[in-house]
Amino acid sequence: MSSVTPANAGAHFQRASVAELAKLPGVWRGGELENVVHATVPTGHAALDRELPGGGWPMGTLAEVLHEGVGQGEVSFLSSALTRAAGDDRLVAWIHPPYMPYAPALESLAVPLERMLVVRPSSREDALWAAEQAMRSGACGAVLLWLEGARRARAGGRREDEYASLRRLQMAAESGRCMAVYFRPLAAEKLSTPAHLRVALKREGTSLEVRIPKRRGPPLVLPLAIEAGWRRSFPVPPAQLLPSHSTPKPERTPVLSIVR
Amino acid sequence: MLWIALELPAFPLQIAERAGACADALVISEGPAQRPLVVCANAAAHECGIREGQAVAAAKALASELRVVPRDEAVERATLQRLAAWAAQFTPMVSIEAHGIVLEVESSLRLFDGHARLTSAIRQGARDLGFQATLGIAPTPLAARLFARAEARGLAVRSCMTGEHLAERVADLPLFLLDWPAKTLAHLADLGVLRMKDVLALPGDGLARRFGAPVLLDRERLMGRVADPRVPYQPPPRFRSRIELPAEADGVEALLFPLRRMLNELEGALRGRGSGVQQIAVTLEHGRSRRTRLDLDFASPERETDFILAIAREKLGRLVLPAATCAIVVSADALLPYAPRSAAWLPGPAETAIDRERLVERLAARLGRDRVFGIAVGDDHRPEKETGVRPAFPLAAPAGALSGNAGLTPVSKRPIWLLNRPQKLVTRQGQPAYLGELALEAGPERIEAGWWDGEEVCRDYYVATNPAGEAFWIFREHRDAQAWYLHGVFS
Repeated sequence: MSSVTPANAGAHFQRASVAELAKLPGVWRGGELENVVHATVPTGHAALDRELPGGGWPMGTLAEVLHEGVGQGEVSFLSSALTRAAGDDRLVAWIHPPYMPYAPALESLAVPLERMLVVRPSSREDALWAAEQAMRSGACGAVLLWLEGARRARAGGRREDEYASLRRLQMAAESGRCMAVYFRPLAAEKLSTPAHLRVALKREGTSLEVRIPKRRGPPLVLPLAIEAGWRRSFPVPPAQLLPSHSTPKPERTPVLSIVR
Repeated sequence: MLWIALELPAFPLQIAERAGACADALVISEGPAQRPLVVCANAAAHECGIREGQAVAAAKALASELRVVPRDEAVERATLQRLAAWAAQFTPMVSIEAHGIVLEVESSLRLFDGHARLTSAIRQGARDLGFQATLGIAPTPLAARLFARAEARGLAVRSCMTGEHLAERVADLPLFLLDWPAKTLAHLADLGVLRMKDVLALPGDGLARRFGAPVLLDRERLMGRVADPRVPYQPPPRFRSRIELPAEADGVEALLFPLRRMLNELEGALRGRGSGVQQIAVTLEHGRSRRTRLDLDFASPERETDFILAIAREKLGRLVLPAATCAIVVSADALLPYAPRSAAWLPGPAETAIDRERLVERLAARLGRDRVFGIAVGDDHRPEKETGVRPAFPLAAPAGALSGNAGLTPVSKRPIWLLNRPQKLVTRQGQPAYLGELALEAGPERIEAGWWDGEEVCRDYYVATNPAGEAFWIFREHRDAQAWYLHGVFS
């Protein structure tokens, strides 16, 4: 029976329209990666690029990088993306970084130094404000934000506050077409986020384990291992402990003795 | 020639209410100290029954909470001069009249896309400054003023663009709109000469004989039969404007509204000169002697009200005012040449550079100049001197010019984070530890430098990792074999 009866019309229509819907931009099935082309920049790690929707680190959205501690290679694994984002004469803003970015290191990662802008706000509110301004301005190709250790100017509600301010940042990143990265501790994985991408890092031996708990598509549960951090750029022989200068030097023996 | 006249009815009252309308009854007084008279009264005062020409004492009897402001002609003159400087953005030929200004606009019509758009731009501009102006447009300045005054009194006026319609358009306007002496006007009224058409019908030699040559000259100038040359107003090469607030303002938000009006005034004056300002001083007066000064500095000459106001808002937000504010002064001393910016649809490199500058200025305005900076490579082997802070102003320096000797360092292991000063590490059996025992992964790299300037370093640098996998840049000081220091973090 080929005719569509009123009884099965609903289901028929539904099946057809779901297939149609999946072709719309911005709509995707839960099990697939989103197929729409967003502006992205390659991260320099082919394995990671394959798992990111659009084939690279997204521009124009807020992304979160979750990591424990500060020495995991959480910034350097993005260095190639930062270099790309700083193209077109756009700035890279470092907002409330945990320490001072070290110029020679950035230079050796080929990040253009003259476009770095470091902002050290005195409070959390100022940091969020500065991040939003930088993202919205369109002058920044990338905005890196840390909020750990920033004191609050006012005591206030925590979680809702947090979500709302991140939502603002997401909007700002969209309007400024800017790569916005918020670095936060692993514990934040339990909190919901308006960011479209969330990447969790863990150091495992010499490589960096990357999980993607949130992306436009199914979460990536099996971790990827990428080479990142100091070892990647400088393969070196193992360390050997040199004796210190302060050990008493042997008596100088004369090299030439004049015999009379 | 085509002239536009701007008339400001009840000008002293407009100045007093410029920073915001006064809700209570307000009058402007003038005359001898023993018996001042009301010159202008606001709507609230009119409602109480106060009329112009009354004695102030009588007005006080009608409204108990009456605010009386003595008329200050010097302020009026200065305000008119600033208005003329502002109007210079429309035409170079601006001349100051008794209660307004006249502008010669024929040569500007093309630039401003016709007289309709030009008049609406002037009208809107005057409103943004806080003035209620009426406009007249005519081939002679006196006729334009006549039209503007007629409009102020609510008379029906048709503006006139060419000389041939002038006689017909002014015909029905009453004579008292002219600046003629009251005696002349009364005399003419006795003769039954009440309107312009009656005066125009009178023979010229008779008019001059009876009422004096100036009256005849005025009539001929109004009709465009005799030349009426004007001297253009030359604004001084600096800017200063002061607004008194209607009531003392406690917060900062209340200051932004009058501040916007003053910045509009500044923008117009700067447009007229083709200049911009790099430094603006905003002074807030609290009572007689106390004042707060706020300096706005820009990386390049600016004049756009919205941008300057945004910077001022951030700076004002950080201020703690000692008392309520009663007046605001905006002054700028150096008017510099301004490079106009094109509003491109697709931003090019020039626009990005402007965006960049403005972003840095906005951040520095709120956070403070020392909290926004760039970084550069220093010309030294000592790690702490190899990196430098570079001021964010000017940010738009060409690439490479800032790094004194880029490429001095061979590519080697350098951490992304450098500690401000090395942190001494605890040691366990001679092994350094930081959040767990540190294992040396790479090294050593010996750095010995600075013996020439007294800040000598002799260090062996290693890359070390702790059990959590964090990588650090640590060194051992040569002078003390046991001392290990943490200097950087590989992020």
